[in-house]
Amino acid sequence: MTRLLLLSCLALLPSFALADTPQQILAAYQQQAGGASAARGEKFFFAKVTQANGEVVGCASCHTDNPKAVGKTRAHKTIEPLAPVANRERFTDPAKVEKWFKRNCKDVLDRECTVQEKADFVAFLISVK
Amino acid sequence: MGLTLKNLGILLAALVASGFWLGTSWGDGSQPTFPPVSNKAAATECASCHMAYPAGLLPARSWMRMMNSLENHFGEDASLSPEETAAISRYLKDNAADSATANERSRRIASGIALNAAPLRFTETPYFGYLHDEVPATVWKRAKIGSRANCIACHTRAETGSFAEREIKIPKD
Repeated sequence: MTRLLLLSCLALLPSFALADTPQQILAAYQQQAGGASAARGEKFFFAKVTQANGEVVGCASCHTDNPKAVGKTRAHKTIEPLAPVANRERFTDPAKVEKWFKRNCKDVLDRECTVQEKADFVAFLISVK
Repeated sequence: MGLTLKNLGILLAALVASGFWLGTSWGDGSQPTFPPVSNKAAATECASCHMAYPAGLLPARSWMRMMNSLENHFGEDASLSPEETAAISRYLKDNAADSATANERSRRIASGIALNAAPLRFTETPYFGYLHDEVPATVWKRAKIGSRANCIACHTRAETGSFAEREIKIPKD
């Protein structure tokens, strides 16, 4: 029994080891982009785009103007805050970060985001205190 | 015939039994109206933007149509990895409203949909319309409801698959 417990604990270890910190995720983007600017990320976060159907959208449409606040999807579901200071799970899973950049950049900008934009965006949100 | 203790007992038993029957027939029993999403990937992925709608709300052909067009999911990109897409598709198909294991209510949803139709919204099925025809248009527009997709705004236990009549609480604003 003890051995079984020990084994199951060991099996769980890799999942903990894989969890990244927001700083690690930023470092990875920063390395690819050759730098990151929180100020540029802030501008990007608050920017508004007029879509083909005339709708004016931006990150804040769903995430609100306050990265520490709870947002809401178009289907009225709660979105946990973007800033790691208000949500410790934010930017801890690189695959999840990439998944949402891919989806949301396409939704708002109708294109993928550049590595530079991603680096700046993460840098801005980490800088929110 | 006088009201004997025995007759009173029979009457009471009949009352309790009919109450129980009414209760269960309206989905007020312990069983949820629809089995909630039991597949972990489906529950996590679908519920990141909206409630994880039970698979029994739509027939398999609707789910397949939806899973094949996730990059434009009601105007948003909800694309998943090919592995996730395959796993979630399989779950939805196996538990769809027209699957072998579907409950009575799901079968009614499925039988209301034309065979050549594959609606993507449960709210556009005849069954939904039939059960919500008394809700005035102004109610749907209330801020706390906002959308027909927002089941939980009125069905307080929708996330557990329960849509019992007595759990409905319509927001006033």
